[in-house]
Amino acid sequence: MTSPASPATTWPKKPRPQLSILVGILAAVAFTVFSARQINMQLSTFIDLWTNPLWEKFWPIPWEWVLNRHNVIDPLIETFQIAIVSTLIGCSLALPVSFAMSRLTSPNKVVYYSSRTVMNIVRAVPDLFWAKLLVTAVGIGAFAGAWALSIFSLAVMVKLFSEDVDGADPRPLEAAKAAGGRHVPSVATGVLPTVFPAYVAYALYVFELNIRASLVLGLVGAGGLGRVIEAQRQFFRFGRILGILVIIFVVVFVLEQISVALRKRLV
Amino acid sequence: MTADSHISTEARPQRPVAARRWKWAIATAIIGATIWSVSGLDVSIERVMSAPGDAWAIVRLMWTPAFSTEIKRGVLGKVLESVYIAWIGTVIGAIISLPLSFLAASNVTPRVVRLPMRQLFNAIRSVPELIVAVILLGVTGLGPWAGALAIGLHSVGTLGKLSSEAIESIDAGPIEAVDAVGGRWVSAMRWAVLPQILPVVVSYWLFRFEINVRASAVLGMIGAGGIGAELVAQLNFRNFPEVGAVLLITIVTVVTIDLLSSALRRRIIQGGTGEDRSKSGELIDDLTGIALG
Repeated sequence: MTSPASPATTWPKKPRPQLSILVGILAAVAFTVFSARQINMQLSTFIDLWTNPLWEKFWPIPWEWVLNRHNVIDPLIETFQIAIVSTLIGCSLALPVSFAMSRLTSPNKVVYYSSRTVMNIVRAVPDLFWAKLLVTAVGIGAFAGAWALSIFSLAVMVKLFSEDVDGADPRPLEAAKAAGGRHVPSVATGVLPTVFPAYVAYALYVFELNIRASLVLGLVGAGGLGRVIEAQRQFFRFGRILGILVIIFVVVFVLEQISVALRKRLV
Repeated sequence: MTADSHISTEARPQRPVAARRWKWAIATAIIGATIWSVSGLDVSIERVMSAPGDAWAIVRLMWTPAFSTEIKRGVLGKVLESVYIAWIGTVIGAIISLPLSFLAASNVTPRVVRLPMRQLFNAIRSVPELIVAVILLGVTGLGPWAGALAIGLHSVGTLGKLSSEAIESIDAGPIEAVDAVGGRWVSAMRWAVLPQILPVVVSYWLFRFEINVRASAVLGMIGAGGIGAELVAQLNFRNFPEVGAVLLITIVTVVTIDLLSSALRRRIIQGGTGEDRSKSGELIDDLTGIALG
């Protein structure tokens, strides 16, 4: 009787769950419950949301208003211009800063630590905080927006690119130094060519981010399409906002496809 | 002697002509785009020259930060509210995106289901949180819960995409094993796929939480609760020492959360032993690279 069943009973012992994982899960659940109470989370909103009469205001989309050049297209173009300028400024500045921030190519310890600290602080400030601060400093408009996004692109770019520089092959740099090259030319000939494709790929990625970020800059007065959204929001013209959303969606989608295709070719 | 002459006669290889032409074309395109963009942005030389001075003047005005006034106004509670919003948003995103990501992975789901699911993720991702929040705030009214919903919705898009890519890169062996013993699709997902992806996916969640903390701070600026509202209020009244205090508190909070979360991510990916360090290091770099969007 027991013999046919015996192979099945020799199961390997199930490993006991680790204490640290159990504690981690418990802490996460506890923090979730606590946060949910703090922000008055109500699951019924998920249902109320669908039955809310305000959704009717989203329909129909006033296409003649949306497609009017003056209303949406011009601010959209301004949005692109902000994104292009700030990508260029941010990414050009990021090239030297990333080399200063990488252990491999930093000229000395002082530059290394100071650039890292400054960049960590810059990155900790959200993009629209920069925009709002710069609007206060230099006035409402696209100029403040371009400046804010340049800072933001610089912060993202150095974060991504300096890690690639860290991982670059150190031997060409050593060869250039051994042949008596000074620091900057050695880096330019020994490291830059090996990491340049990654640099271009990141620049394209930052451009994608900037397109998205520049769409909302206007919500704090920093120019672009967000200004239009903010104005329409104040008058509850949700149909128009939905129309703008459709346009944003199409544009972002097309640009992303182009950028992804380019990046695939590069890397 | 022969060796010497060999070196001296060796000509440098010619640069490829096609590549040079491409370079010029790309350079022209970039310069053209820049000129077009700058011309549309209403900038003048004097404006560019005076801007750093104006910005520096503001920084000087913020010194010294008025911490005591701000703490009396409850800034610590507001910054914590931003953290709560980000956490709830991340939890919503994680819970919804995990099951959906299986339906978007090419190795476990047929085309018919996969392609629409992918497009859904793309669609969600292409709308910034702030715009989702603008719509939700219009419908549900102002408040932190609406902000958390907006962040959660956006996170579904990004987390779904990343998790489905994690599923696509797993080892197929365990799935075949489950199939071979007659397991259903759900069992294969639970016992063959989930254990393989869970560490990576959890570290994606943590990374998303770091991003969401910044996002929720921003959402406060349009009335979704948290630290952003305080910053806007003080900036509008030109109370610069208070602005300085709000900024510094935000920076300290964000940096602390980043450090905690990245330490935790490293621990999850590497396990307790610390072996296989270089590979895990690469993975963390990748996470940082992809997940920023």
